Amino acid sequence: MPTSPDPPVSPSGRRTGGIHAGERRFALALTGPALLVLALTTTFPLLYLVWSSFQTINLAMPFMDGFAGVDNYVQMWGDTRFWHAMRLTGIYTVSSVTLQVIIGLGLALLVMQIPRGQWIFRIVAILPIVLAPVVVGLFWRTVMLSPNFGLVDYLIQALGFEQVNWLGAPTPALISVIVIHTWQWTPFAFLVLLASLASLPPDVYEAARIDRANAFQRFWHITLPLLRPAIVIVVILRAMIALSAFAAIFAATGGGPGTATEILNLYAFKTSFVELNFGYGSALAVALLVITMVVSGVLFYLRTARVADAAR
Amino acid sequence: MSGQGRVSLRGVRKVFGRFVALDGIDLDIEPVEFFALLGPSGSGKTTTLRMIAGLDTPDKGTLTVDGADVTFAPPGERDVAMVFQNYALYPHMTVRDNIAFPLKMAGTPKSEIDALVREAAARVRIDQLLHRRPGQLSGGQQQRCALARAIVRKPKLFLLDEPLSNLDAQLRLETRVELKKLQRNLNVTAIYVTHDQEEAMTLADRMAVYLEGTIKQIGTPAEVFDRPNCVEVAAFIGSPPMNIVPAMLDGRTVTIEGHRIELGWQPDCLAGPVTVGVRPGGLRIDGDGIPTRLYLSENLGETRLLNLELGQVLIKMRIAQSDFSPDVETVPVSFDPDSIHLFDAGTGRRVEAR
Amino acid sequence: MNVHRRARITRTVVLMVVASALLLVWVLPLIWAFVVSLKSEREVLAYPPNVVFEPTGANYVAALFGDFSIVDSLATSTIVATATTVLTILLAVPAAYAFARLRLPAKKPLGFYTLATQMVPPVGLVIPYFLILNQVGWLDTYHGMVIVYLTFSLPFAIWLMVSYMEDVPREMEEAAFLDRASRLQTLWHIVIPQVRGGIGVTVIFVFLNAWNEFLFAVQLGGNTVRPVTVAMYNFVSVEQTLWAKLSAAALLAMLPVVVIGIAGQKQIVKGLTVGAVKGGGRK
Repeated sequence: MPTSPDPPVSPSGRRTGGIHAGERRFALALTGPALLVLALTTTFPLLYLVWSSFQTINLAMPFMDGFAGVDNYVQMWGDTRFWHAMRLTGIYTVSSVTLQVIIGLGLALLVMQIPRGQWIFRIVAILPIVLAPVVVGLFWRTVMLSPNFGLVDYLIQALGFEQVNWLGAPTPALISVIVIHTWQWTPFAFLVLLASLASLPPDVYEAARIDRANAFQRFWHITLPLLRPAIVIVVILRAMIALSAFAAIFAATGGGPGTATEILNLYAFKTSFVELNFGYGSALAVALLVITMVVSGVLFYLRTARVADAAR
Repeated sequence: MSGQGRVSLRGVRKVFGRFVALDGIDLDIEPVEFFALLGPSGSGKTTTLRMIAGLDTPDKGTLTVDGADVTFAPPGERDVAMVFQNYALYPHMTVRDNIAFPLKMAGTPKSEIDALVREAAARVRIDQLLHRRPGQLSGGQQQRCALARAIVRKPKLFLLDEPLSNLDAQLRLETRVELKKLQRNLNVTAIYVTHDQEEAMTLADRMAVYLEGTIKQIGTPAEVFDRPNCVEVAAFIGSPPMNIVPAMLDGRTVTIEGHRIELGWQPDCLAGPVTVGVRPGGLRIDGDGIPTRLYLSENLGETRLLNLELGQVLIKMRIAQSDFSPDVETVPVSFDPDSIHLFDAGTGRRVEAR
Repeated sequence: MNVHRRARITRTVVLMVVASALLLVWVLPLIWAFVVSLKSEREVLAYPPNVVFEPTGANYVAALFGDFSIVDSLATSTIVATATTVLTILLAVPAAYAFARLRLPAKKPLGFYTLATQMVPPVGLVIPYFLILNQVGWLDTYHGMVIVYLTFSLPFAIWLMVSYMEDVPREMEEAAFLDRASRLQTLWHIVIPQVRGGIGVTVIFVFLNAWNEFLFAVQLGGNTVRPVTVAMYNFVSVEQTLWAKLSAAALLAMLPVVVIGIAGQKQIVKGLTVGAVKGGGRK
């Protein structure tokens, strides 16, 4: 039996290709500019950042500038303010993300039950999200939390409680910034989870109803597992934002009182732009970068592991 | 490129990962033929069509159109038009712009486009809908819009990928006829992919039966129906398809469940086990026949279809309504000797006369 | 009225009351800020806060036309946000098509790279930006600012657009190829019109994020480039905070994004969920 001939050269002179010829070149042409800009705007500065973390760059004392080796990192290791900032970052991120998910989910479940008027909730939910975080921080700092003038202060006193110096004392300040962040971003969780809830197939619930499952059982065994992917995504996204949140805290407390709300973000900022110690500030920023990468790596890994689990 | 639209495939092989979609097929399609590629899902017929269109390229083998090798020519360089199963209309354009698009891409002057679009639309009777968008059309209208877009260029090859599968049954029957008429009017080679053997039988001048990546038989509908060249084809063609029953052969005598049937011809086959094929219409109710158990009777209106247990095998038999008596459990059946096809018990190939 | 029906009505009423109460948590601060903006500075400091007072528009006038007018900043924000959005779309849409549909060499690593750039905390970038732009003399310039803004806009936009591109049926592109369209023609005539909605969503998000940006604005800008988020601080100083004017200015500054937010709420929710499924989001 004759063997089938090898593909000969086509009229256009191509050995392989046809529809796929030139596709790679076209693809590169389309992505080239974007990738170039990306490289310029992120990779290059990042490399610069890492480089400067190994330098001493102090605009206040320029005569000290020079190569520093790992001095900055050694200093960081022994810096209590650094570990304090790490701790605060952890508390801030975990508590606000947890609150966002719980409250957002609760609200979404609640609103799902309301037959009409859901649109009001949607509009109200959009507003905090579109505001600039710096404006939110300023609002809360001034009209809400100020002692003697703020709305919260007034309400607390009207309800008969003790006045609290929300932004002036360490623990209340930390609580305040967490509340502010949660206030602004819970609507995000709410909207995403509401949309997910709305897209759940109704027949599964009908089957469960016929199988005599009560409301709580339906929630625990059907709703929650079906919502898991959405919840996971919300957690990942909000965690990323919480780790890098800056403007709201800056506006509300500036990191204070003292260092009570100085998450790593702010510490790096202050070191660089207030104390003008760019070398050490760079090292701090690199630390934050590494933490962010690790956390997102872990979260993404958990997510794909979960997906694989669900597929099995 | 002038020519009549003659297509040739030689030794075409296509593999997707580990799955062999096409295992070396050879095919010749005559100019102006209505040629059907028939087979179940995954048999390779759509893959073949896509290669002719240029949307996929073979791993091995060649494809020529009117003598020119187009194995690797991109779709734009081939004079080919295609109607997709889901029509693939451009939803953001009006019907007119959809039909005009290929002309626009080919650089046809604006002055000519309008006339050509109208002509194509009139042919498929959607000229009243030119200003609408695909989303505003019914399924049948969308399909005709896809047709118009395909024919407006007056291509040499007209490819159709299960174009009727998204229509309801009634529309399908009506459109079938129109498609055939359209092809005749346009005088163009049409290659038609379908899994519905009734469609292929009624539309095609010739067809190729695909199974598992190979072509089992090529021929006219009559040839494939009257002389299937293997058991698989026999079991696929016909509504309902041929009954397949194991039997023993000795000389000219076929024995089924102990009953002997004399054939009028000498099979070119050794004595021993053999596979018998007989169409539902080739069975008779016969008092001396093989007893079978009736387990279901289907009322088809003009005729009845009896589902019978013959030994270990299930067969179907067609009878007139007048011959049917309800409450009957056993039906004695005999085989019309002239309606018997023989296939080799091992290879499945048709057994011919010596 | 039977038992079931009454129970259901009660239930709905209770739910609505609870939900509305929770709603207040988000509405109240904004309403209060608005109320404050209508008071005079003296009245603001009154305690307990007056609910009844004479509203005045003086603060808005001051914010727009007074000594610390934010009008220039509004113009700056508009320029920067618009330029960022336009550039981002021009770069991101073709790139997203390549990622979604074409055989891009090294697609996986490049895709991962794009995703990774999104995870960089801004403070990690503002430090080198400051040092670099300082050296190049691009601090406090429009071109400097816009390029910097592309940092967070571009990866996000590519990411968002890729998911929209993937929704375009392949058959439609194949039909276009058969209709003799080149790859570029297919992209322009067929694919891009199909993802119009996605481009709209992306525009909204990119513009919003650019408008609301603070860290880069405050550190890399100056007197020339002073977006509205920085101009807020016109009304905040060590000695005193001009509350009412601050509120007025802030509300004015947020007016564009609020309008966009309400007008585009459907798109925003869609974008959130799409972005949530595929990864993205900022601020």
